Formats: sequence, structure tokens, C-alpha cells
Amino acid sequence: MWLGQIGGDLRQSTDASLLSSLRFLGLLYGPIDRKLPIDQALRKAWARRLPSHVGWRHSFGGIAYLLFMMLVVTGVLLSFYYRPSVDEAYPSLQYISTEVPFGWLVRDFHVWSANLIVLAIMAHMARVFFLGAYRPPRETSWLVGVLLLFIVLAFGGTGYLLPWDQWAYWTTTEVMNVVRQTPIVGGAISGLLVGDVFVSGATLSRFFALHVIILPWAAFGLLVLHFVVVRRHGAAPPRGYVETQDPGTPFYPHQLLRIVIVSALVLALTLSLAAMFPRPIGDPATPFETPEGLVSSWIVVDVSLGLIRTLGVWGFVGFSLLGLLLVILPLVDRDTETSLRRKPLVLSVGLLFFLGFLAFWAVGRKIDAVPPSAGIESRILDERAIPAPGEAGVDGSEDSETRQEP
Amino acid sequence: MMKLAPSLGSLFVLACTLGLSGPPSAVASASAVAARIQEPASSAQQYGCLICHADKRRAFQLGVHSDRGVQCHDCHGGNPESFEATQAHGGNFRGSFGKLESLEVCASCHGDPDQMRQYGLPADQIAEIRTSRHGQLLLDDRNFDAPTCSDCHDPHTTLRADDARSGVHPINISATCANCHDDESLMAPYGIPTGQVAEHRHSAHGVALYEDQNFAAPTCIGCHGSHAALPPGVGEISNVCGRCHVNVRRAFDLGPHGRLEGGEAPLGCTGCHSNHDTERVATDRLAQTCEGCHEAGGSETTLGDEVQQVLLRAENEMERANEALHELVRGGHEVSDERFRLRAALTEFRNLETMQHTLDLERMEDVARLIASASLDIRGKAEVSAEEKWEHKLLLFPVWFFALGIVFLAGYRLRRLRVETPDDQRTS
Repeated sequence: MWLGQIGGDLRQSTDASLLSSLRFLGLLYGPIDRKLPIDQALRKAWARRLPSHVGWRHSFGGIAYLLFMMLVVTGVLLSFYYRPSVDEAYPSLQYISTEVPFGWLVRDFHVWSANLIVLAIMAHMARVFFLGAYRPPRETSWLVGVLLLFIVLAFGGTGYLLPWDQWAYWTTTEVMNVVRQTPIVGGAISGLLVGDVFVSGATLSRFFALHVIILPWAAFGLLVLHFVVVRRHGAAPPRGYVETQDPGTPFYPHQLLRIVIVSALVLALTLSLAAMFPRPIGDPATPFETPEGLVSSWIVVDVSLGLIRTLGVWGFVGFSLLGLLLVILPLVDRDTETSLRRKPLVLSVGLLFFLGFLAFWAVGRKIDAVPPSAGIESRILDERAIPAPGEAGVDGSEDSETRQEP
Repeated sequence: MMKLAPSLGSLFVLACTLGLSGPPSAVASASAVAARIQEPASSAQQYGCLICHADKRRAFQLGVHSDRGVQCHDCHGGNPESFEATQAHGGNFRGSFGKLESLEVCASCHGDPDQMRQYGLPADQIAEIRTSRHGQLLLDDRNFDAPTCSDCHDPHTTLRADDARSGVHPINISATCANCHDDESLMAPYGIPTGQVAEHRHSAHGVALYEDQNFAAPTCIGCHGSHAALPPGVGEISNVCGRCHVNVRRAFDLGPHGRLEGGEAPLGCTGCHSNHDTERVATDRLAQTCEGCHEAGGSETTLGDEVQQVLLRAENEMERANEALHELVRGGHEVSDERFRLRAALTEFRNLETMQHTLDLERMEDVARLIASASLDIRGKAEVSAEEKWEHKLLLFPVWFFALGIVFLAGYRLRRLRVETPDDQRTS
């Protein structure tokens, strides 16, 4: 009774402009009528009609956003227990995985969301690219979208080190070695990120700060900008679409029901992957000893290792440059009339990037060895005869043949 | 040349003062040696030998004798103050040495305890050589097939034994021995087989040395001695091996083989493990090894089979425990206690491996039970962890029940909407 009274009072008295915050967060598509009470303003915004070509295939962007929000939620939960220091990171990870109620679920949900979000973003980008939707007037939306991809990659890259186990440590070491060899800027970037002569506590602190403070703010800023420009220009129409003849479909309930269906399936899938294929934990990180094998738990690591081992440093740098080329694509290709099929060069760049991503993902999954180059620090430290903490088992061996799902 | 003589003379005096050159002395003082290390080496203008033998100077400076202040004339004699070949090579000069002369020259310093004491070097190598087979051949029989000092130690670039470039460094010494012992024509008159070096390289000792870089692993000299090199006698083999394998030797002595006396004794350790190609007897071939001496099906081979079974069971327990520990690590469990137990079990397993030489089945069974107990504890925790993981999967039932329920209801509603609003039928 009194709850209903409170609800009624809130509906009558709350300013509808509060709903604007939901618009900025991408949770509300239509414009807000600030003259109406909040509940009526919400219903009016929901009744906004979308072009009828907006359907299931537009789900990938929403899936990526859903996974991003899940990453934020699970990340906050993990931060209650995670301790970003060399001595405590690994034990805190063990504590989360085995002692905290449902800690294992939160952690593995976080890991799997980080994988699925990359696939969702790539699928979203591929749809936009092959529809030619990156061209004017939607070039800002494309540019911001590609930047968001890089932000997500940076999230994963910095988060990958945080478990502070051998696999995380040596994968980061290998990738940082490659970054260091990048001409001109490599040394500076690597020095800034690593903060030491080799991956150490300084690196862990920097990666943690990037992961939980700097990148989230950057991501939210870009997301808001992305939603603003998407609303400004709307979804790109298919060729031959005549807007005046399209009555459209209301967001509520049609599109909302689709969102509910997709969200339920994505969350169930992520939970299933988390329960079926938990990310294994390696031995505690030590710079004194290379592991006998690497177990990758992130798609982008597989792609990076695939590039580095098959094409070398230049392969990795070249593929990254190809990604950067996608950013400036709208500046090069501004022809909104011609189909991509008649633009073989642009089409090739896109195919090379998206198919290359899939191909090197497959190649990277087959690689689990640490290259000798990654062990340079280990050998240097060995020569200094510093005692090595932590070992795998009694015989120091690690099962390098069994490769588990991330 | 004559004009240069006064200035060269003054330089020589100065050099003598600095300890860079001067009258022959067996060993330079410590300060002189330090000065020599710090300052530029003698030049041809100060030391006559270098005018013609600059190549030897470079080789010599790489060795330890140069650091210790030894100079050409200390071994070769002659007159280094002279810059004329005839005068320089006069007097007690010896250009090259015979094998016996080599021994004599080296012994002039290395046989003198007063000179060797400061370097912590033994001064009894010459006495040892006399007891060796090499020394017997060389000194008693005047057989010059036998090696002298300079055959193993480079006479000019003489390096410390712990210098990896040295021919007597653990990594290189078997190759040094092989210079003669792999020469079939040289060994044939003495009835000595060749190929020992290749056998050693593939043996357990060779693998430890060359692959694991364990310089404590024995090379030729580890068993035969270096200066006093002799093949161990049959009765000495267990003592030779027992210098490193102390516990195994003790266990062996307690067992029936160790208690055998005289002619009854088998070939000690080499009876099962061979000599140069020393190998671990694989646990599953233990009983088969017994059949090398004992009758198949007899009580001895039956005992061997029982020992083998105990070892195999313990080995299996260790493997399973190790695997379980890895599973626990991967599952994120804190495993310091389990790791400690596994280490303790490994210690017991090594003890069991040693104990097999006693052939005391009862004691072996006791130790094997300790290993099995530790393994069971670790595996028990791993099984609990595996059950937890399995229980996690049960979560999928409610998850998919709700997810599919939502999908069904939302899908049904969407379908109804399409039917009710024909205008929207075009939507995907």
C-alpha cells in the first residue's frame, strides 16, 4: 500500500530529465519529453519508432554493450578481493577462486565476457564495414567504434597480467618484447607500460591502474559519444531503402523483446562457458623460470601469439597497422553511392583484417610454447644467482600438452 | 742497435724495478703480479724473446702462468736480456721438451710445496703420476706413447681447470682423454678398447654433465683419477661409485650382494649399471636385469620381481600425486601443504630407490606405504576439488531453464505482435 504511494509520488514529482542519463548510457533510444511526468516520458521515449530494417542483425553492438556492463559489474566484484601487488595478487586470485562464495563464477564470467566481447565487437564492426556504414555521415560513429575496440583490447591486455601466474607473466613479457622492437615508438611505449627493465611489480601496478581507473573512464566517454552519434544519424539503411515509405516499428515492445531474447541467450551462454571451461591458474609468476607451456585465456592473446610466431615482429606490427588503417578508412573512402564490391582495395583491407583475425586466432590456439627470446630476463637473473621462489610441482614440470579452454 | 743499447739498458733496469722483467725467479711476488695485471705487458723492447716469438706471447698471456709472473725463460732457459738469437738461445736454453723433460720442468714449480701453497694447489702431482699407469709407462718403461703434462695441459695457454676453455674443464676433459683413448692404433698394443668417451656421453653421468650442465657429474677423472689415473680394480668399484653414491653404497653393503666376499662378489655397481655407459636400470626392467646372473624363475629373480612391483607401485603413486597437485594448482587452490607432503613423499621415494639395493622387501613395503599415504591425501583433496567443479555445472540447469523460459515467452509475445500488427510483418 505505502509502497504504491511512494511509487506514485516519485512518478509525479521526479523530473523526466533524469531519463537523459539513461540516453547517455545507451539504455534509452528515443528523445525525452521533459514536460511530462517521468513514467509518461519513459513510455513516450519507448514508443519511438525505429526503421523497419533494424532487426536481429543489429544485435551485435548491443551484445558488446551488455558484455561490457557485465565486465564492469564482475570487475567491481573482483576488486573487492583482488590485491594488486606481487606478493598478494596470486594468493588473492586463489582466494577468489576457491574461498569466496561464487567467486569462481564471477571470475570466470569476467574472463569469458572479455573473450566474447571481442567477438561481438568484431562481428558488429564487420557488419558495419561490409554494409559500407562507415562512410559519411557516419564516419564519427565508425571512428569512435574502432577506438572502442582498441580500448577493449587495452582492457584485456592490462587485465591479462593481473592473475600474476606464469602464463600471464610470460605472455605479457613476450608481447612487451615485441612492442619494444616496434620502430620509433616501441621503446617509449614499452618503457612506459612496463616501468622496469622487465615485467615486475611496477608493471602490475601500472596495468592495474590502467585497467580499473584510466580505461573505464575512457571507455565510458567514448561509449557516450558513440551513442550520441548513432542516435544523430540512426542505423545505416540498406541500399534502395526509402525512408518516407517506412512506418517503422516501435522500440517497445518489438525491439525490446528482441533485446531481452538476445540478452538472455548471451548471459546463459557466458555463464555456461564459465561453468564448463573455467580459466585454469598457472604457477605463481616468477621471472627466474620460464614455464614449459603457455595456456592462453584470451582470444587476442591467441591472435598476437599466432602473428608473432608465424610472421614475427613485423607481422604483429603490420596487423596492428592494418587495424589503424580501418580508423582512417572513412577519410579515404567517402563515396556513399558505390557498392563495396566495386572497390576491391577497400574490400581487401576489410577481408584481410577480419579473416586474418580469425585465421591467426586459430593458429594461436595451437601455440603453447614459450620462445627462447622470452626467457632472456630469466637467464640474466639466473646468472645473478637469485633464489627462485615458487615451483610447479616437485619435479618442476608443467603439463604442456593439455591445452584447456580459456 | 748499438745506439739503442744505453736506452734499452735503462729501460731494462726500470723494468726490473717494476717487476715487469728481470732475473729469472720461480714465482713473482704478489705485488709484482698485481702490477703486471694492471700494467701493459712486457714489450719486445724489454724482453728479448718477444722479438721473434710474439705469437707465443699472445697465447701465453691468456694463461694463468702469465698472471703469476712466470716468463719464457723460467721454463725454456736462455738469456731474455739478449736481442741476438744466438745469445738468447745460449746457455741452458731448451726450445722444445721431450716428455720426461716436460715432467721435470713442470715439477720444478709444481712439485715444490712452498711455491704451490700460496695458490692452494697440491704439489704431489708428480708423485701421483708415478703411481698412474701413464707414469709407469713413461717413467719406468720409457714408453713415450704415455702422456706427459703438456699432453693434457696446454703448455703456453695453461688455464685453470674451472675455465671452460681449458682442456681439463669437466666439459672438455673426456675429449682430452679421447685424444689418445679413441685412437685404436695407439690403444691396440695395450689391449685397451676405444669408444669409452662416446659411451660416457650417453650415460646417466654424461647426460647430467652435458645436458644438465651439472659439473659435479663424474667425467673420466671422477672414477679413474687424473694424475694418478688407473682403472679401478674389481673390488674397488663399489668404493669408487660410493664416493658420490654414499647412501646407495651403504644400502648395497647391507644387501646380499654387498655381503658376498672375494670371488663370489659380482662386479659391484657395474654388474647392473655398466661402467662407462652407466645407466639407470628402468624400474620395469629390474627383474629382467636379475636374470643376467640368476636363473629365471628362481628365488632370486622372484625377489627381484617383488622389488620391482614395490617400486612400480610407488612410482605410480608419485605420478598420480604430482598430477593431482597440478590439478589443484590449476583450480586455484592454495597447495603449500600438499606441496610439502609431496616433497616429503619424494624424499621417501628416493630413499626407496636407494633401499632397493638392500633387497629388504619388508622395509621397502613400509616406505612404499608412506608414499601411498601421502599420495592418497593429495589425491583426496584433488577429488574434492573435481567434485566441486562438477557441482558448478549443475548451475547450468536453472540458468538455461530461466533463459529458455524468457526466450520462449518473449518470442511468443513477439510472434503475437507480428500477427496483431500486419504493418510490422516486414520487420526481419
